[in-house]
This record gives sequence, C-alpha cells and structure tokens, in this order.
Amino acid sequence: MKRILDLALGIVTSVGGFLEIGSIATAAQAGASFGFQLAWAIALGTLCIAFLVEMAGRFAAVSKHTIADAMRERFGAPFFTTLAAIMLGVSLLVMAAEVGGVGAALELATGISIPIWAIPVALVAWALLWYTTFGVIENGVSLLGLVTVAFVVGAVKLHPQYGEVARGLIPTLPKQDAAKYWFTAVSILGASISPYLFFFYSSGAIEDKWDTTYLWSNRAIAAIGMGFGGFLSIAVLVLAALIFHPHNIEVEHYQQLPELLTPVLGRAGFWLVVASLAIACLGATLEIALALAYLVAQGLGWTWGENVKPREDARFCLLYTVLVFAASLFSLAGADPLKMTQISMALTAASLPIGVLPFLVLMNDRQYLGDHTNRVAGNAIVMVISVLAGVLALISIPLQIIGGS
Amino acid sequence: MHLVAEVLDQQLCDSRGKPAGRVDGIVLELRDDKPPRVAYVEVSPITFLSRINRRLSRWYARHDRRFGEGRGVAFRVPWTRLTPSGTALQIDIDSEATPIVAVEQWLRRRIVERIPGG
Repeated sequence: MKRILDLALGIVTSVGGFLEIGSIATAAQAGASFGFQLAWAIALGTLCIAFLVEMAGRFAAVSKHTIADAMRERFGAPFFTTLAAIMLGVSLLVMAAEVGGVGAALELATGISIPIWAIPVALVAWALLWYTTFGVIENGVSLLGLVTVAFVVGAVKLHPQYGEVARGLIPTLPKQDAAKYWFTAVSILGASISPYLFFFYSSGAIEDKWDTTYLWSNRAIAAIGMGFGGFLSIAVLVLAALIFHPHNIEVEHYQQLPELLTPVLGRAGFWLVVASLAIACLGATLEIALALAYLVAQGLGWTWGENVKPREDARFCLLYTVLVFAASLFSLAGADPLKMTQISMALTAASLPIGVLPFLVLMNDRQYLGDHTNRVAGNAIVMVISVLAGVLALISIPLQIIGGS
Repeated sequence: MHLVAEVLDQQLCDSRGKPAGRVDGIVLELRDDKPPRVAYVEVSPITFLSRINRRLSRWYARHDRRFGEGRGVAFRVPWTRLTPSGTALQIDIDSEATPIVAVEQWLRRRIVERIPGG
C-alpha cells in the first residue's frame, strides 16, 4: 500500500514539477508565432527527458551512486571540473530566469515591479532550503504545482481541433521565419530537457534510499509523470495558438501570460496563471539550487544532503545559499525574465550533449549497472535527441543573433 | 587492483563513516630494483587543482599556508590505512582532526552556526 502511495506521489510531483518559466514561456511563444506547428518539439523533448529521468533513477537505485559522484569517479577531476563549470554557468542563468518568473508573478499580482521582489524571493527560496527537508520541497512545492493543470482545463474549454494539434506532433519545415522557428524549437528542447533535473533526480533517489525494488515505480514515474508534464506544455501551446496566433500577436512580454487563461476563465484565469507562474518558478529555483549544490558536493566528496542539519554539511548549504542569491542579482539589476528565459533555454540546449553523452557512457557501464544497463532504444533516443538539440542550438543561436529578435 | 580505475577519484569516508573527500592523487614510492609501491593517497584541493592547472594549485597552496601547521601542502593518508567499504574507500582516521574538512569546519564555526537554524 505504501508503495502505491509512493508511486502516486512520485507521479504527481513530477507532473507538478514539470512546468516552469522555461516550458511556459517557450510553449506560449511557439503557439503564438507558429500555431500548433511546433508541438513536435515538446513531444520530442518530453520523450527525451522521460528516458533520462528513468535512467537517472535506475542508475542511483542499482549502483547506489549519484550521477555526479560517478562522473568524477569514472572520468576524473579535469572532466568533472569542466562539466561542473558549464553546468553551473548555464543553470545559474536558468535559475535567474526562474527567480525572475516568481518576480513577474508577484508583479502581476501586486503591481510592485520585479527588481523589488528579487531579494525577498531569494530569501524565501533560501529559507525553504535551509529550514525544511527534501520531502517537504519535493512533495510540498510539487503538489502546489498541480495548479498548472489549469492550463489543460483552459485548453480543453477552447475546443481545439484535436486533429490539427496532432498534426503538429509531426515535425514540418517552417513556411516563413525559418531562423525564429528553429530557435524556438531549440528553446523548447532546452526547456523540456533540463540537465539539472537528472542530477537532482538521482540525488533524490539516494536521499530516499532507493534500491532495485524501486525500478518499476521509477519507470512508471518517469513515463507517466513526464508524459503528463509534456501534456501540460502542449496545453500552454494550444492556448497560445488559439488566443494569440489568429491575431498575429507575439508573446514578447510576461505581462501577456495571464491572457492565456483570462479569455476562458476570466478573473480566476488571471489568478491561476499568476499562481502557476509563482509556484512553478519557485519550485524550479529550489530544484536547480539543490541540483547544483549536489553536483559540486558529490564531485568533491563533501558531506551533502537536504535531510541533515546545515551545520553537518556547511559547504553544501552555503553553496546553495550563494547560488540562490547570485541568481536573484539578475532580476535585481532589471533583467527581463522572458529574455533571460530565451537565452538560458537556448544555452541549455547547446550544452546538452556535454552532460548527456558521458551520462550515456555511465548507463552502459556494467561495473555500475550490472544487468540493468541501457537497451539500444533508450541509448538511441536520448543520443539522437540531445545531439539534435545541441546541433540545432549551435546553428540557430547565431542566426537568431544576426536576425535580431 | 587498478589504481586509476578503482582508487583515483574514489569517494573516501572516515572512521565514523562520514564523507571525507575524494582520492585526489596517488603517491608512489620508487624503490631500487623493486617495483614501485603505493605509499599514500592525497586528499586536497591542492592536488585536485594541480590536475587542472598548476598555477591555480600553487595559488591555492600559497593562501592555504597561512592557516597554520600542516596547511599549504597536500594532506596524505598512508595507503595502509585504506580499506574498501561499500561504494567508498574507508580511512581509519577521524576526518574532523585532519585538514580534509578544515574549510568545512571554518565555514561551520564562522558562518553556519551564526545563522538561526544552522
């Protein structure tokens, strides 16, 4: 019985934790600019992250190692340092966008501008990390994140042509604005396949003391949780495609985001978008801060864990403290959350192969996984999608810069 | 035993089972007419950094030296005090009495214990 509850909770939390500023903003922009045409990018990204999350959980459950731990062990100090530096740089930008997302929600709610919210948001995030345990963060914030299901309710109420939506799941070439089309596709892939997520997930599996008996629930959580998560992103895309696209309105400001639901749900819709944005972005801020602190602490052999008192793992706790406040400086300085999102999601996509390919090497290492190494299909899907995202990013980022946004 | 695959970069834990850094380097002792012998493993940012950039390592060592006796050089654990334990290598030393966790202890005393809830 407890296992079934665990399973349900796991699925619910991964659904609730799926949406964040990256997936909301990129899906909204894709829908506004290209209708249903970019739905395939969400589907592809979701497929890849579902496989990656399953692998991360399996790796931890079977080998009792976290991914960062094994990467240092298997590939050595110089490789680990390079990887950690890239991850820290890119993910700090993503976290800055998330803090900006919480600020944007608070600005929409109160009229008080984002920079004023930067430090208070960082303080709340820090306090949650400092004073609570892993379970509170994972379950509490993600349960609240279920408010994002409002996007599905909204999308269904608009009665989209489901056949048209399904047609968007098949990749097609753009009719116009090719540079923007590919850049948006890349941003969606970057937003769906967050490398911090699999570092976070493997650490969580170790914190929750998983063993091989968890393999089935791990598989179900990854498939159903991530699947529904992708479904939420598609709902956002559908809303934007039906509300903005027919009027040729592009999503260029976060102030436009409430319009995703106000036409369908009125005033309640406004508050649902604000709550979704605030909770989802705060949850992502916590996850990224922890994921980066896990990465460094495990790679350097420090004591780490969200379930021990800060005095027992001072370096770990001070590291996430520094990261959270560093991320808030961008908003404090007036950086636009949507701009930060676009840049950080494209950079995430560009850096994907660097994190994912070594991880695939680990997933095929019998020393760690024994009989539980990857099958051909998992390897192929993850490799093709992440390399595709990386290559598309390297081509489309310069084009986007030349073309101007 | 394969030194690079099974010892270098492995997680260490101390006599009480607490994480105690990683094997940042291995020190071999050369002997006349006999094969070299593993003498120590090094656990230190100085060794870690020297594998990435020599200058960075020297810079760190110079600053570390100011913290007193035994600092400014890589901390060494005699090979004979290592035993495999689960996914880690165990050293039969209390890490709290070594420079391995010196930075941790300093941060704990100076910062973490002064923050409520720390």
